[in-house]
Amino acid sequence: MSTHLAMEKLAFRYGAHQVLKELSLKVERGVFLAIVGPNGSGKSTLLKNLSAVLTPAKGKVFLDGEDLYRIGPKALAKKLAVVPQDTTVQFPFTVEEVVLMGRMPHQERFQGDTEKDFKIVQQSMERTNTWHLRERNITELSGGERQRVIVARALAQEPQILLLDEPTAHLDLQHQMELLNLLQGLKNEGQVTILAVFHDLNLAAQFSEFVILLHQGKIYASGTPAEVLTPANLAAVYGMEVVVIPNELTGRFNIIPVALTDIGATAAAKKKFHLICGGGTGNFLMEQLVQQGHQVSCGVLNIGDSDWSKAKALGLPLAEEMPFAGIQEESYKKNWGLLLGAQGIIVLPIPFGPGNIGNLRQALEAHRLGKKVILVGEIDGRDFTNGAAAAFYQELIKGGAKKVFQTFELLPLLREF
Amino acid sequence: MEANSRGKKKGILLTYGIILIIVMIFCLTVGPAKITFKAALALLWAKIPGVGRLVSIDQYPSTYLTIIYDVRMPRIILAALVGGALAAVGTTFQGLFKNPMADPYIIGVSSGAALGATIAMVAGFSKIAGVWALPIAAFSGAILTTVLVYQIARVGNKLPIFNLLLSGVALSSFMTAIMSFLMILNSRELSQIIYWTLGSFSGRDWSQVQVAAPIILLGIGVLWFFARELNAMLFGEETARHLGIDPEKVKKILLVVAATTVAGAVAVSGTIGFVGLIVPHTIRLLTGPDHRILLPGAVLAGSIFMVATDTFAKVALSPTEIPVGIITAIFGGPFFIYLLRKGKTGVF
Repeated sequence: MSTHLAMEKLAFRYGAHQVLKELSLKVERGVFLAIVGPNGSGKSTLLKNLSAVLTPAKGKVFLDGEDLYRIGPKALAKKLAVVPQDTTVQFPFTVEEVVLMGRMPHQERFQGDTEKDFKIVQQSMERTNTWHLRERNITELSGGERQRVIVARALAQEPQILLLDEPTAHLDLQHQMELLNLLQGLKNEGQVTILAVFHDLNLAAQFSEFVILLHQGKIYASGTPAEVLTPANLAAVYGMEVVVIPNELTGRFNIIPVALTDIGATAAAKKKFHLICGGGTGNFLMEQLVQQGHQVSCGVLNIGDSDWSKAKALGLPLAEEMPFAGIQEESYKKNWGLLLGAQGIIVLPIPFGPGNIGNLRQALEAHRLGKKVILVGEIDGRDFTNGAAAAFYQELIKGGAKKVFQTFELLPLLREF
Repeated sequence: MEANSRGKKKGILLTYGIILIIVMIFCLTVGPAKITFKAALALLWAKIPGVGRLVSIDQYPSTYLTIIYDVRMPRIILAALVGGALAAVGTTFQGLFKNPMADPYIIGVSSGAALGATIAMVAGFSKIAGVWALPIAAFSGAILTTVLVYQIARVGNKLPIFNLLLSGVALSSFMTAIMSFLMILNSRELSQIIYWTLGSFSGRDWSQVQVAAPIILLGIGVLWFFARELNAMLFGEETARHLGIDPEKVKKILLVVAATTVAGAVAVSGTIGFVGLIVPHTIRLLTGPDHRILLPGAVLAGSIFMVATDTFAKVALSPTEIPVGIITAIFGGPFFIYLLRKGKTGVF
């Protein structure tokens, strides 16, 4: 691998407003780089500088070691193609005419469109699934179709480097995947380097090899998606609490926004929580609390239960019991210790029977000692103790325990502990 | 399919070319002296080197040759040149400004030329420069205006299109006001000035053709060479840049060439309106927006339209001539409205 594109202290300003602040970055040949960051962080401006539509106030960009701003427009267009954010066209060119324009950098002034041009245009259109649209007017297409036509035009330029500004913004789910798979294919087979601005962090996480996270005109973090798209980085840049969950289907991960962050508040307040869970009800919450840096304990869990596996995987302290045995005094004792050590107790929507009702009793006892308790979900339909569990529930609520309906509603409440 | 649609478009150009030739020959026959189409053809054929001897023109009076070659032909050719120039520049400006209202005069060329011509008439330049006083004054006025508009619109090294439009409109109004003021002060020349601004080919001869033809033909040629760039510019300057074009360079070249071409046309014919606005729109409906076909198509159609309307202007109220600019608007306006209503799927 060699460096394809290198930025050195790239700085750009609109008037007095400094948009890019000395960005330096090396992009290897044939990688898929995602550029992410909040609105106004300089993503589009960066792309415009890299495509020489704008010229930086300071700093340099090298394309294959050559000063990008000294390459003539035509020579540059043979190497670098751009899919802009706004692809609206007012003039009723046919789709084929539009894609043919991608051949302009390769054509001499007095030369017409050659057979080779038409062949490359056809290939580009077939790859983007637009060949069947070739006789239509571009003004009549849907946003998604038009986007793919503009991608076809960029491909017709036969670029070595492709810049895309939110390429999936107008596309539906199917076409998003088609386009991103196409980009990956291009990258894999042709050594095409791809730089794409993404708003959708999940797409960036799923398709890119490298990510740069822009924040106020600077590169806040760069590296692999797993290194860059961490809850801590995203909280700092977007002011959002997010959860990062492994996605077994893609082998990558998903990012789920949770709540707006009081920047600085979460870092300072690390808490201890005890979860009364089981059967997977605590899975999400465990992951999340741990990611936010809290200490979590669980109990009493049956050995082999999915929450038990999760807690073990995360290395959480827990009270455990053999399944189908009913919880023994020993385990309740251990659980009691964990309960007393926590600042908050969260009771997840598990069914209660004679074998595990002790968990709820302990929560109530701890609540009487002043521990805060949050209940998730109604008790109806999961009380198998002839009303004992429901009675504990009522007493907890009467005593001031909070109740929420869904697990994700909890997250903003946790700060109050 | 591509070959077909390209073939179809070349067919359009060929058809327009043939229509233009037929219209021009037909218009040679129109006038006080009754010359038949056959006679006109024979007289033309006789002048072709090599094969000219194959036809006999002895049966026609010798005045016919004079009427055709020295009176009607230069006027028809001049009308064709001016019509083509206005259509070419109208097409270019509509594309460059991405504005359907754009016409060849949008950046103030016409008011500059008119002011120049007015000054020449009021000050009596014709005593010094003879018949060339008006063309020289109009051409200078047009070029000077373009330079001024360019300088006003320019921001450093860049030429923002909106600045160009606005400074063109502002300067136009300013110069029209001065012209009106001069007209009020010199009411003796009033009708002459108005007549000039309406445009006419009355009394033009080969000398005007000799002066205007090189400017106009060269101008149209250059504009056509930039058809591909103009296509890309329709997608916006950023996209044009992505496709390997230097938009600033293209804008400057097109502006200078287009303004010079119009100045050449206006100098010999006055400010004929409407042709440069409606012909490009009409042809765009037929050919689509690809300037490689649209521009030559509009040039040919502009020529046809101008030759036909000028001939009508000449004979409609014979022996009085109507300024051709009135005819272009009278015929062009309703026709264009008809097209708009018929093909409402977006002219532009």
